[in-house]
Amino acid sequence: MDGQSGCSAVPSSLWLRPLEYFTGRNNQKMRASLSLILVVLGMVATCNCYAEGDPASGRQKAFTCMGCHAAPGMRNAYPAYPVPKLGGQNAAYLVEALKAYKSGARNHSTMHAHAATMSDQDMEDIAAYFSGLTKP
Amino acid sequence: MKRLVIISSLLGLVWTYSMAVAGGDVEAGKAKAQVCVSCHGTDGIGTQPQFPNLAGQHHDYMVRALQDYKSGARNNAIMKGFVANLSKADMQDLAAYYSTREAVLFTPKVE
Repeated sequence: MDGQSGCSAVPSSLWLRPLEYFTGRNNQKMRASLSLILVVLGMVATCNCYAEGDPASGRQKAFTCMGCHAAPGMRNAYPAYPVPKLGGQNAAYLVEALKAYKSGARNHSTMHAHAATMSDQDMEDIAAYFSGLTKP
Repeated sequence: MKRLVIISSLLGLVWTYSMAVAGGDVEAGKAKAQVCVSCHGTDGIGTQPQFPNLAGQHHDYMVRALQDYKSGARNNAIMKGFVANLSKADMQDLAAYYSTREAVLFTPKVE
């Protein structure tokens, strides 16, 4: 062994060739498209938007939620506190909350049991339903 | 009879004191909410969709939420930092402030 890693047996120019294909000065078109790809990826990565939920579908899926969340004066037991108002809440927050219940980041046995059965789309739909309700 | 009057007035004092503590102080809450407003707004309306609206939320639910953030039962990196130094009275006051903003939240009705 000459003290170098196995990879270095390949001429370094060969390894760099794909990179040169994108960055080479003579290849303006590829450089432009690479920039475009990076910009689009950046936009996707930083996008705070959520897949649109369907409130009509959410209404069906929220049927079991209503047993507690649509009952005025309903309280959580042990410890006792009122169940939160969901009408008019932000959809993105509701999705975050359901995901946290599902993962266990929010510790609540009943809500975990419900959220664990939900897909991401279910959460979006339910959130769209509650956030879209008009205040009576 | 005299003893009964003294005992009942003492009980009354204790009761009003505990109510005041339990309910929190809206004005004190307003002052303490200065760090909350960048996300939850002065009016309790979230400044970004991922931040919850608080305006009109149940007082005791919000106290519970703050306690859970502090204990870790609710694991949220942002809120954890804010609640670390809150006392029980602080939580009561903050909940008093946001629960009494003009409500955007409501209990939905079964249609």
